[in-house]
Amino acid sequence: MEQLIFFIILIMLGYFFGRRAESKHYRSIEAREEFWLTRPTSTFKTISNSGRTIRKSELVSGNVVISVDYFKRIAAGLRNLFGGEVRVYETLVDRARREALLRLHESCGDADEIINIRLETSSIYKGKRKQVGSVEVLAFGTAVYFEQN
Amino acid sequence: MDYKPTRPENNDNITRDSPVKEALVLLSGVLAFFLVAYCMLGFLVDWAISRISPKMEAAIFSGFQVPSGLGTPEDLSCQASLQHLTNELRKCCDINYPVKIIVIPSDTANAIALAGGTIVVFSGIFDMVRSENGIAFVLAHELGHFKHRDHLRGMGRGIVLTALSALLTGSGSSITQLTAPGIHLTQARYSRQREAMADAQALETMACYYGHAGGATEFFQAMGAADDPGRFMAYFASHPECESRIAALKKAIQEQHFDIRPVKPLPPELKHLPSGKL
Repeated sequence: MEQLIFFIILIMLGYFFGRRAESKHYRSIEAREEFWLTRPTSTFKTISNSGRTIRKSELVSGNVVISVDYFKRIAAGLRNLFGGEVRVYETLVDRARREALLRLHESCGDADEIINIRLETSSIYKGKRKQVGSVEVLAFGTAVYFEQN
Repeated sequence: MDYKPTRPENNDNITRDSPVKEALVLLSGVLAFFLVAYCMLGFLVDWAISRISPKMEAAIFSGFQVPSGLGTPEDLSCQASLQHLTNELRKCCDINYPVKIIVIPSDTANAIALAGGTIVVFSGIFDMVRSENGIAFVLAHELGHFKHRDHLRGMGRGIVLTALSALLTGSGSSITQLTAPGIHLTQARYSRQREAMADAQALETMACYYGHAGGATEFFQAMGAADDPGRFMAYFASHPECESRIAALKKAIQEQHFDIRPVKPLPPELKHLPSGKL
């Protein structure tokens, strides 16, 4: 009985803090995405404006590791029994992808364009009994700097 | 045409539904499945038990290792005295196969009916009861379990429960912690029903053997004074609380018009037992 109470408290704590952290993170992501919106960013291997001279290009990357809260882990465990979309994990991957891309942007504040962007995802921590605990997303691409006219 | 970058209005990659609702629906599904499975397997156990005769049971559990009880001569006399009492009580509740009594020195005040026709009595019980009638009620209660075959039912359901929780644990999650109390609640409720039935049977046995029901509530009164599980935990207790059991016994005594007469004192060989020491 005590075990159950302890467990429910853990789930509630996980839910409360997980939710708070998530909405805070989303607010931050949205604000920063707005900031970087005007910088041309693509998955193409060539730059979009070929008339300009390239001064410098370099490899840039950004990565992030995000973990799920206890509540989501249990909810996903329940989903594992029945099968279907693991919806509670969707925000985890979504946040990680966008955060990684933002970090890539922030690593090269002066670049004029970023091309050839790639994303890689891996679950880096498998918790007890191989339940996915956290996800890593690595974003990398080529930052291009043009000559100033 | 100019390209004007904008952020998408909606994030289509995430679902907005409440995850709590989803989790609760899934959890109730798992719980319902396991409760149905537990109840059905429980009925299957009952059915199987109705087809196992006491003779067959004795044959199955003949290899069951039971400690031989106390060693010294005065302790053996206690065992013999209880054995004699049990044999007499047995005639009153139509159990026509031998039931063996084993006394184990312990501080615990309890008795268990084991498969194969053995009653284990923990010697702490002799500190709780003051009369022969009191101890006879405990023995009659265990005989009641034998009569209703509750020892086998309990064992069968225990196996089912273990198998089900192993199934859950094997699925690779901590969901067991969420579902186990639900199943435990069902188990405890079932067990309480069987205990109440054994109490009723014991009362009849007492009335048949002594001609009255004096001393029937003695053990529970002593136990009730010793501990109280509290209001909430009572749902999880496998044995009905002492208070409610005493009340049920008193009600049954009234309804069946049993007399309450003076009780027989505890025989001397049961009085001074070294409890808790081997």
